[in-house]
This record gives sequence, structure tokens and C-alpha cells, in this order.
Amino acid sequence: MNIDWLDAFLISGLFQVAMVTGLALLLHLQLGLARIANFGVVGFWGIGMYVFGVLYVKVDWPFGDPWQFLASAAIATFVAGVAGLLIGWLISDLNTDGVLVGTLGFATAVQILATTEDDFTGGALGMGGLDFPFDIGRVKDNEFLWLVIMVAVVAAILLYVWRVHRSPYGRLLIAVGGNEPLVRSLGKSTFRAKLWLFVVGSAGMGLLGAMNGVMVHYLDVGNVGVGVTLAAMVGLVLGGTARVWGGVVGVILTVGLFDIVVQSYLPLPEEWYSQAIPVLREAAFGLTLMLVLLFRPLGLLGDMRRDKLMGRIHGR
Amino acid sequence: MDFITQPVVIGLTEHAPLILAAIGFALLYKLTGLINVAYSETITLGAYFGMWLNTTYGLDFYTVLIPTGLLAGILSVVTYLAIFRPAKRRNVGTLEMIILSFGLSIFLRHGLQFVFGYPVRFYDVPPPDTIMVLDVGVTSFRLLAVISVAVLSLLLWVFIQRSRYGLQIRALANDEDLAQVSGIRPLAVTTLIWFIAGVAGGLAGAFYGVGSNVSPLLGWRQFLLILMVALVGGSWGLGGVILVGVGTAIALAAMALQFDQALYAQLVLIVAFVVVLKVRGTRLTETAKV
Repeated sequence: MNIDWLDAFLISGLFQVAMVTGLALLLHLQLGLARIANFGVVGFWGIGMYVFGVLYVKVDWPFGDPWQFLASAAIATFVAGVAGLLIGWLISDLNTDGVLVGTLGFATAVQILATTEDDFTGGALGMGGLDFPFDIGRVKDNEFLWLVIMVAVVAAILLYVWRVHRSPYGRLLIAVGGNEPLVRSLGKSTFRAKLWLFVVGSAGMGLLGAMNGVMVHYLDVGNVGVGVTLAAMVGLVLGGTARVWGGVVGVILTVGLFDIVVQSYLPLPEEWYSQAIPVLREAAFGLTLMLVLLFRPLGLLGDMRRDKLMGRIHGR
Repeated sequence: MDFITQPVVIGLTEHAPLILAAIGFALLYKLTGLINVAYSETITLGAYFGMWLNTTYGLDFYTVLIPTGLLAGILSVVTYLAIFRPAKRRNVGTLEMIILSFGLSIFLRHGLQFVFGYPVRFYDVPPPDTIMVLDVGVTSFRLLAVISVAVLSLLLWVFIQRSRYGLQIRALANDEDLAQVSGIRPLAVTTLIWFIAGVAGGLAGAFYGVGSNVSPLLGWRQFLLILMVALVGGSWGLGGVILVGVGTAIALAAMALQFDQALYAQLVLIVAFVVVLKVRGTRLTETAKV
């Protein structure tokens, strides 16, 4: 397949869009259904990326790629899931304020550990040595194949989220988001549901982090900042937190617009690319988040279909 | 005795701005029910305002404190009137309000870089005098921060507990409808709360800034600790916030002296605070006033 028409910027931009879409979809289950505001998305994503990086680069595996990648990624996903289990347990009976502290605290802890444990992570200097688990020719070919694999993983996450929406577990999560004490009084274990939600969501975020590590080849503490959480959150809120496709639509309109259209196709001054564009991007994301919540809190796609249907039936 | 005096003196002088910021944040949280993530930018902007007044007009650090506090207070009121009040009138929920404040925080943090530029900035101040306190050398700026925290805390306590406006603030926090029926004007009182919180945050920012440097992440780096101090200490009122803030400051200094990495101290405190919140569990009340 001839991919000469694709430039490196576009592949990288599309990869970002796909990865943040995956994060937004997983966040949708937490924020959109169970109404748990996970401000620590970057923590789970980052722990997956760093555990993968350390295992892939520092461990002397008795086998090479792709098994080295698969083993490292599997362990990183597992560790992120265990972190999700721990954080899920910690915040399970806390209100929104407690959840904010727990998740933000976890993200900060990951950033601190990535900085201080420089024997493993390279600390502030960063860590290189990550590579694709295959070699099919040019760098661009490898990157394109990795993008295709990322899209496949995100499609699998989308399918999972879609199935959750239509399952008893999904309905339980929606009920938890609506009125948790009532759900508890009906004999449902909201604790177990929230725990599972965090385990699966965090493991997925960890896997996406590991895959991002492969794409960027270099782990830098600066990447484990609040920008990752912001990108996923603004995309989801813009698209609509309650809808399966909300994260997809929102991330395309935010990350896609900035990381692809603005950065690749707008004729901007050269000196803007180093500092002005990233700053402008984050400021625009912050502004979008505010405007959407003020003027269209349900996002572009609006409320859940079932709520719309019930509204029509009951004349609301 | 060094192992006691050093953490106490270093902790209180180095982290006094944390206590001041936590008081302002807790005031806002307890009396309006809002977790305002953008409070971190009030702190950052306080540092920038002070630096701007200091470097542009050649005012010394002590002189810039008053206009810095006023500017930060006005900024805080503007965010309330322009963002949070309209959001409340549109019935934006508690969770969405936190996300909204997160968006505002990000917008201000990055927007101010267009105004003040990207590089890290510094106050133009002469090297501070070093004063010996219990055999520990302390700079005059840090000593002033401690005194300011003590004075402001006392003033705030007197204002909240003894003044007519303080009574109105407490009445509004307890029952807004009843307070309104009693003739209290919620807008005026709420605006006052936002102003006081802004002044405290702005002054904390100025003290942080003069102690090290001024950067867009200054407030955000402190926000988690401020939030935790306010949430844990806030249950016991303003006094609780001060006590937990003092304890946190001393613990940070003690651990920073013990560990090679000062960041480990933050890590330990994050774990400790989350465990405290977990143990207290659902006793925290969720409020949605603004």
C-alpha cells in the first residue's frame, strides 16, 4: 500500500486523535454513566506507559519482539488495572470532592515517582530505547502500521463501551450516577460495580499509555501532565458525556482540529510552533470546556437516547 | 533539639503561603460549597501581579502586597460574576461546576502566558536579610509571610465570628433561603467571600513568587496540598484549616530534611490525606451552593 501522501505530522496527529478518543471513551463510562469525575486519567495512562517502558528497556527478556512487547504491555496493563482497583477502592465511598482528591493525588503520585525514580525511569532526563515490535521497512511504514493497530484497539474499546451501554451492568452504572443510595437500597452492590469500572477503565488507559510510549520512543516526565486528562475530558464534554459517540465526535473536533488541521495545514508563523501553539491549544481547550458547560452542558450529541425516548413518552 | 526546631521553623516559614492559600480556599469551599480548581490560578496571578508591580513600577516587595491582594480579590470576584454565578443560575451541577472551574483554571493558566510571556520570571528584590530563629536562618520575606498568615488568620477569624458581615456569611452558608428572608443580600455577601478568598490566594502567590520564581504552574503545583488541607481541616472550621496547614507545613519540612528527595514528602502526604478522607468516608457533605 502506497502511503507516500501521508506525512509524519498527519500520522502523529491521527495517532493522538485515536489515543485520546480511547481515553475519552473509557472516561465516558466513569463520568458519563457513573458520574465519577476521574481527574487522574493521566495517572493511569502514565503508569501504563512507564511500566511498559521500564519493562521493555530495562528487563533482559529471554525472547525478542513481538513477545517482548506483548509481555511488557500485558504487565503494564495489569499494573494499571491494579492501580485502578486501589484507587477505586479508596474513592468508592467518597463524594465528588473526595474523588477529585483521590484521582488527582494518584496522577500527582505517578508524576512524582516518574521524576524521583530516575534509576528506572530516567527521571527528568527521560528514557529512550522504546521501539516498534515489528520492522516492515521505512519509519513511516512502521508508524502507519502502529496507527492502524491503535485504531483497532480504540475500535475494540468503542465496541466494549457500546455493549456496556446495553447491558445490565451499564444500566447499573447509570443508576449509580443517578441515585446511588437508592441503588444500594435495592440490594445492588454499587461498590463492586464502581471497582470493576475503575479496574477496566484504568487497565485500558494503561494499555493506551504503553502504546503511546512505543509511538513516541521516548518517555518524558513532561508528558505525564494534566494536558492528557484535559484532552480526554474536553473531547468528551464537547461531544456529550452521556453518549457513546460523544467522546469520538468531541475528540475529533478538539484534538483533531488542533493537532491536525491547525498544526499541519494552517499557515502559522514558524516561531509559533515551539511555544505559542501548545499554549493556545490548552487555552482553547479550557475555554471550550467552560463554554460547553455553560451553554450546552449535555454536549453536541445531547442526552442519552433512552432519556430522550422516555421524555417523549412522558411528554417531558 | 534541632530535629524539632528545624522542621518547625523551616516548615512554618517556607510553607506559610500554603496555610494562607488553604484558608482562602476553605473559606470559599465552606461558605459556597464549591471546589474551585481555578483558585490555583488566583495564586499564580497573585504572584504575577506582584512581580509586574514590582518590576514595572519599581515598588518594593512590601509595598506591592496591598495592590496585589486587591487585584487578586477583584479577579476572584470577576470569575464569580462572569462564570460561576451564571453557571449557578443555569443550574449547572456540582460535578460540572468542578469541571467548569478546571476549564477556567486551564484557560487562565495558559492565557496569562500570552500576557506575561513564557519564561520563568523573578521579583526584582534585594537579597533578603537573614534572621536567626531558634538557631535556624530565615529570610525576612519568609518571616513576613508567617507574620502575615498569623495576622490575616486572626483578622479573618474575628471578621467571620464577630462582625455583622461575618454573621451574614455564616447565615448564608447555613441556609440561603432563610438568610434571604432575614434581609441578607446573598449577592453582596457572596461577592465579599470571593473577594476575601481572592486576596488570601493572591498574597499567598506573591509570597510563593518572591521565595522562588514566578511561573504559570506555580499555583497548580500547590493546589493538591491546598485542597487536601482545606478538605481535611475544613471539617473543624477555620481553626482546623490552620491546624492542619501548620501540621502539613511541619511534616513537609521534616520529611524533606529526612529524604533525599523533597518530592517524597509530598508523596507521603498525598497518601496520608487520601487515607484520612477514606477513613472519614461519606461523612463529607456534598454541597452545591455558589
